[in-house]
Amino acid sequence: MEDDIPSVDDLFPDDDFPPSKPSTESIPEPDVEDDIESLMSVEQALPQPEILPADAEFMGEKGGVVTGRGRMEAAFGTGDGDETATAQVAQVSSEVQTGTIFHQVYRPWRGELNSRWVRNWAILRYHIYGLFSKGHKPWPVMTKLVLFGVLITSIGDLLMLTVGAATGVEAIERLAGISRGNLYGHVLSFWFRNACTYPIVTALIIGGMISEDRRNGTSALYFSRPINRRDYAAMKFLSVAIILSVVVLFTLSAYYLGAILVGGEGWSYVMDTGLLFLGAFAAGTLLVFTYTSIGLALSSVSSGKFFPAVAFIGLILGTKMVAFLIWALFDSSAIYLISPYDNLAHVGQWMLGLNHTYEHPASWSLVMLITMNAVSLYILSARVSSLEVTRE
Amino acid sequence: MYGPHVALDGMSLKINSGATALLGPNGAGKSTMIKTLLGLIQLTSGEGEVLGYNIRTEGDSIRQRIGYMPEYDCLTPEMNAVHQVKYCGELTGMNTNIAMQRAHEVLEYVGLRDQRYREISSFSTGMMQATKLACAIIHDPELLICDEPTNGLDTKARGFMLDTLFQVVKQGDRSILMCSHLMDDVEKICDRIVMIHKGKLIAQGKIEDLKAIDREIEIWVWGGASRMEAAMKDAGLKPRRTGRVMRVVRQDETTYDLVLELAAKAKVQIRRMEDYEPSLEDLFLVIMDRLGYGVKSSADLLQSQPPTTSVAPPPSQPGGHF
Repeated sequence: MEDDIPSVDDLFPDDDFPPSKPSTESIPEPDVEDDIESLMSVEQALPQPEILPADAEFMGEKGGVVTGRGRMEAAFGTGDGDETATAQVAQVSSEVQTGTIFHQVYRPWRGELNSRWVRNWAILRYHIYGLFSKGHKPWPVMTKLVLFGVLITSIGDLLMLTVGAATGVEAIERLAGISRGNLYGHVLSFWFRNACTYPIVTALIIGGMISEDRRNGTSALYFSRPINRRDYAAMKFLSVAIILSVVVLFTLSAYYLGAILVGGEGWSYVMDTGLLFLGAFAAGTLLVFTYTSIGLALSSVSSGKFFPAVAFIGLILGTKMVAFLIWALFDSSAIYLISPYDNLAHVGQWMLGLNHTYEHPASWSLVMLITMNAVSLYILSARVSSLEVTRE
Repeated sequence: MYGPHVALDGMSLKINSGATALLGPNGAGKSTMIKTLLGLIQLTSGEGEVLGYNIRTEGDSIRQRIGYMPEYDCLTPEMNAVHQVKYCGELTGMNTNIAMQRAHEVLEYVGLRDQRYREISSFSTGMMQATKLACAIIHDPELLICDEPTNGLDTKARGFMLDTLFQVVKQGDRSILMCSHLMDDVEKICDRIVMIHKGKLIAQGKIEDLKAIDREIEIWVWGGASRMEAAMKDAGLKPRRTGRVMRVVRQDETTYDLVLELAAKAKVQIRRMEDYEPSLEDLFLVIMDRLGYGVKSSADLLQSQPPTTSVAPPPSQPGGHF
C-alpha cells in the first residue's frame, strides 16, 4: 500500500528546484516511504526567511515567500470567517438510499386555474405565435417563407406609391394611388392575388389546422380538458382569419394610410375616399371569412394536410376555370355562381360601386356566398363534433 | 346511449378515492364510461357525480380537476416535450409562466428531465407514455384517468411507469382510475376494481374481497392422481386437475379433512396441500369464463382487437353539434 504513494522526488526532481531555495537544514528530511501527511508537515515547518525580496509579488502576496497560500485562498475563499461559516449544502432525503441519483418526488400544485377566455387565448396564441417563435405550433418553414413573401407582395402597391412620391413621377402616383379600381384590386383582383397568393397562403395555413389534430390524436388533449368544441372550432377559425387578415386587411389599411401620409392628404381626402376604403375592407373581410370557412371545412374532413391544401386551391381555381369554360360556350354568367371567388368578386364590385363584370344580379352571388359559408360551417361543426377523446 | 347503441346500461357504482382499475373486454363500454366521467357524453337517464360535480351540467369543472392519459398517441411530434406539456397546462387554465415551471417539474418527475427539450418525434414509446403522463398531471389533478398506461412498453419502462403511478397514489395522495388488460399491472397499482361487460357492471370492490369469493385448495398428489380425482368426484368436490396438481373449492374448514380421508382411501400420497392464493388474472378468467368467453389469458383480449369504428355522437351530447 505504501509503495503506491508518490514520493517527493517523483513530484519535484532535484533539477527543478530553484537555486534560491531556502535552507532546509533544520527541517527533517521526510522519508520517501512516509505518507502524504508527512509531506504536508514539511511545508508547515518551513522557516520564514530573514531578508524578504521587496519586489516579489504573487497573487496578492507581496514581499513574502510564495507558499501557494494566496493561490489557495483565491480558489477557495479568503479564509477569514471560514471557521464560523456554515455552508449551504443540498439536503438528502432520508428515503434516499446510497447510490440513488434520481429521486422521484411528487410535488403538488395548489394554484388557481384561469377562466374559459384564458384557455381560449392559449389556443389562439399557440397558433399565431407559432409563426414567430418556438414553443408554439410548429409551422413548417415553407409556410412561414411563403407567408412572408405574400406579405411583401401585398404591400407592393404601397411601395409603388412611396416610390412615386419619392421620385415625383406623377404617372406612378396616379397609377398606384387610391381609387375604386386599386382598392378592389388589392383585395379581389384575380390576377395576381386571387390566382396565386391568397389561395396558396390559405391552403398552407388551413392544411393541418384540424386534420393534424385528428391524425396526431391531439384532439384528446383539447377535449379531455375544459375546452368545449365550440371554443375549439372558434379559436381555430379565428387563428386562420387573423393570419389571413394580416395578409389582406392589414396590408389594405397600410396601403390606404400610406396613401394619406405619402400624399400629405387632409380630411377632405379622407371624406372622399373613406367609404371606398370601408367598402374594400368589408369585401376583404368577406373574402377572409369565406376562405377560412371553406378551408377549415376541408381540413376537418381530412386526416392529413396535403388533401385540404390541394382541395382548397382546386376549389377556388377549378370552379373559376370550369365556370369560365362553360361561360365561353353558353354565354351565361350565372354559371359563375359555382365559383366562390367570382361570388366574392361580384359582391365586392357591388360594395365598391364598380361596374359589374357579371350579368346576373349581385344578390344571387351574395346568396350563394352565404350558402357556401353556411355549408362549410356546418361541415366544420359536424366534423369537429366527431373528434374523439378516446380511440378514434 | 352512444349513437344507436346502449353503451352503459343500468350501471350504478361508487368509486372511492385511491387506485381503481376499470376492467372489461373490448367493447365492454370502458371508453364510453371514461367519456361519461369526463362529462363529454350526455346521460339519457340517471344521475352521476364526479368529485362532487354533476356529470350532466358541470363537465368543464370536472375536466379541470381530472387528468386524462389516453391510450394512443396524442402528442404533436414536431414539438419538444416541455412545450407540449406547458401547452397542456395552458389548456387547463394555467398561466404561461407557471405552466412552464410546472412542466419542468412534472417532466423531471416522470424521468424526462434530460430529454425535455428533445423533439417528441424522436422519443421512444416509453418516453411518449411518460410525456402523456406529464401532460395529465401538470395541473395536479385530483383524479387521474389512465387508459392502458403500460401499453407497448418494455419491462424496464413498464416498471418505471407503474412505480410512477404508484407514487402518484401513495406519495401524492391522488386517485387513479386505470384501464388495463394487464392484470399484473392492475394488481401492482390498484386495490379496487370495477369490471364491466356489455355496458353492465359485473363486479366491483376490493381485489382481496373478490379473490376470496372462490377460495380453492391446491393439492399435489403422488401415486394415483386419477384415483384421487375419481374419489373427489365421488365425494362431490368437482376437482380441476392438471397432471398431479388439483384444485378443489374450499367449502369449509372440513374440506381439508375430507381430502385427507379420500387420499387415504385411494391410497394416494399427498405431497403438498395449501390454500391457493388466486391472482387477479385468475379472478378475471373465472369471471370471463362465467360470461362464456373462451379466453385463456387476459392477453388474448389484447391480441383480438375488434375493428375500430368511428361513431358520431348524437346531437343531444353537450359540446357536440352546435
